[in-house]
Amino acid sequence: MMGPVAALLPEGLNVSFKLLPAIIVVAMMSSFLVIGYVFKVADTADMWVAGRSIGNVENGMAIGANWMSAASYLGMAALIALSGIYGLAFVVGWTTGYFVLLIFLAAQMRRFGKYTAPDFVGDRFNSDTARALAAITTFLIGFVYSIGQARGMGLVGLYIFGDLGIPGLSGYQAMMILFMVITIGYLSISGMLGATKNMVFQYVVLIVAFLVGLLATGYVTGYSTILPQIEYGQLITALSAEFSAPFVHASYYLWIATAVSLVFGTAGLPHVLVRFYTVENERTARWSTVWGLFFIALLYLSAPAYAAFGTSLYSNNIGPTYGDPGMSSAAGDVIVVLATQLAGLPSWFVGFVAAGGIAAAVATVAGLFIAGSSAISHDIYANIVKEDASQREQLIVGRIAILALGLLTIAAAFDPQAPIAALVSYAFALAAIVLFPMFFLGMWWENTNRPGALAGMSSGLVLWLIPMLNEGNFGLVNGGAGFGIEVISTWMPAIGSALIAMPLVFVITIAVSLMTPEPDEETKQMVRQCHSPEPMPRNMTAEEMVARRTDDAQPSDD
Amino acid sequence: MYERILIPTDGSDVAEVAVDHAVDLANKYDADLHALYVADTEAINLTLGTEQVDRIREGRFSEMPELREDAEAATGHVSDAAAAHGIEVVEHHSGGVPHQMIVQYAEENDVDLIVMGSHGRTRVGKVVLGSVTAKTLRSTHIPTLVVDYKGEF
Repeated sequence: MMGPVAALLPEGLNVSFKLLPAIIVVAMMSSFLVIGYVFKVADTADMWVAGRSIGNVENGMAIGANWMSAASYLGMAALIALSGIYGLAFVVGWTTGYFVLLIFLAAQMRRFGKYTAPDFVGDRFNSDTARALAAITTFLIGFVYSIGQARGMGLVGLYIFGDLGIPGLSGYQAMMILFMVITIGYLSISGMLGATKNMVFQYVVLIVAFLVGLLATGYVTGYSTILPQIEYGQLITALSAEFSAPFVHASYYLWIATAVSLVFGTAGLPHVLVRFYTVENERTARWSTVWGLFFIALLYLSAPAYAAFGTSLYSNNIGPTYGDPGMSSAAGDVIVVLATQLAGLPSWFVGFVAAGGIAAAVATVAGLFIAGSSAISHDIYANIVKEDASQREQLIVGRIAILALGLLTIAAAFDPQAPIAALVSYAFALAAIVLFPMFFLGMWWENTNRPGALAGMSSGLVLWLIPMLNEGNFGLVNGGAGFGIEVISTWMPAIGSALIAMPLVFVITIAVSLMTPEPDEETKQMVRQCHSPEPMPRNMTAEEMVARRTDDAQPSDD
Repeated sequence: MYERILIPTDGSDVAEVAVDHAVDLANKYDADLHALYVADTEAINLTLGTEQVDRIREGRFSEMPELREDAEAATGHVSDAAAAHGIEVVEHHSGGVPHQMIVQYAEENDVDLIVMGSHGRTRVGKVVLGSVTAKTLRSTHIPTLVVDYKGEF
């Protein structure tokens, strides 16, 4: 399904410099900065004066913008085109995860009221080691997640800017490096601009680019009229059986493993969870999740239609999609752009759709890098290494962390071994294995303690690494061939390793917690506070509530 | 000569070397002392996350205990030092780009002297890291007294 890629060049894609699309990409990116600047609420002259808060719909769109990466915009349609039914595991996984988030974590996280995911782990288990493990995991997730994004930027960039012809670099590599550099530049200015407003605008631009692209492609080719999301069904019988027959490309087991990994990974991703700590209150936390799911679903219900149109257009214009050689994974990853191009739409329009893909990747990488940078500068540096670190010092450490993430991502994306969606799912597996059990048990079982969390997280990291190395990711083992142990690649594939590893981490965490002393009463009360049926004042954290109650209970000295 | 003295502080050792100078001047000139803490939104963006910048913009500072404690400790240090001389301090907390917020506060409150600490950094260090003090100097006409951290030891 995903063999090594020889030269990353999407066949059939018109690779050349195109002026209008180039202007559109530049205009789209700069409009994000301009909108951010317009909504920049001057500065906060007095921090104690309440301003206007952000509503559910806006939060939902911001969740959508943060979430919708190259994996959603390009990768999902790609996997459906390449692997048919198997690709639906991504549609199912990436939406169902929001239910888990809504039911078990969103409002509870708001009550806990900290800043970052490692903050929760560190404070809940009262351990700097646990905090450091969570921070390292957060950094790793940002890195692994971004490899797929870099691949997406590089491939789509080829349509717009062509092969830059830099000696020693392939067209893809040059483009990937260019866009990673742009992302880091974007990151260094976007943070000072209006964050949520900016994300709302980004969401609108991305979803319009995607949906209008789909509508136009379906319309000019005659596949669909006004509702391609449903009409593509008529195409199914015309497409080869490999597109529509279940479990041709991947086994039933792999489908389940992937879906489970994605569901729980979604509920454990630090850059998604961070919004829930900050929303105005618990009700907003819940409704924002619902709106977020709605806005994301708009894209996800459309991706299969794009994939079907793309597959059909590819078969008619380039060659058989399946079989040997079949569609390469590089062409699959740009199927959204390729379909629009093959439908004969003008290059500025194809450029608009492509720009949406690039913008999705840039915006998500920005969010991931900030989560990674805060893990290093706030959670490790300011909380563990140097407790009285000034803002300035933390800022510098954060900048170094971002630079390191950028360089690591560029290095790893030089010759990525798998399609975008598969690369991204490695990060989901990591979140599902290491972080989700900590959030879930930490929030819902008060007896989870420090030794349990430490044992769970460290074994989780190892369990995640085993299939990754076995399949030769990062080129660390046997020059990229990996151990190639058959049993592991069959039953614990890297793309869905959480199906086996996550329950193991649950068992280890629970067993060790039972064998060691229970956490102190204060921690238990804090956990109860996070899901107590009584309402809680919005400007307090669970920790403060517990502290206040303990104070009240103790008889005073005088 | 001086009626209102502003001491911007982030609670760091570098910022606090200026406190004694400011308090002494305030004492001599019988001036009001203002202590200003600016939550650097760029630093918060990278260290706590973009969402937290919104939170500050919304004025929900009271929900962020650690940051609030940092701010209160920084300006509180100035108040404590001044209290020894019987001087009252106006403590203020704001969020934004530090040097811009310092200048804005100084101008809006008719401050006639800014006293702040500075790293005695090398040239390379200044280029790479920049300096709030240097940027403040460049963006205001109000007299500014710079106390060098290294010169104090």
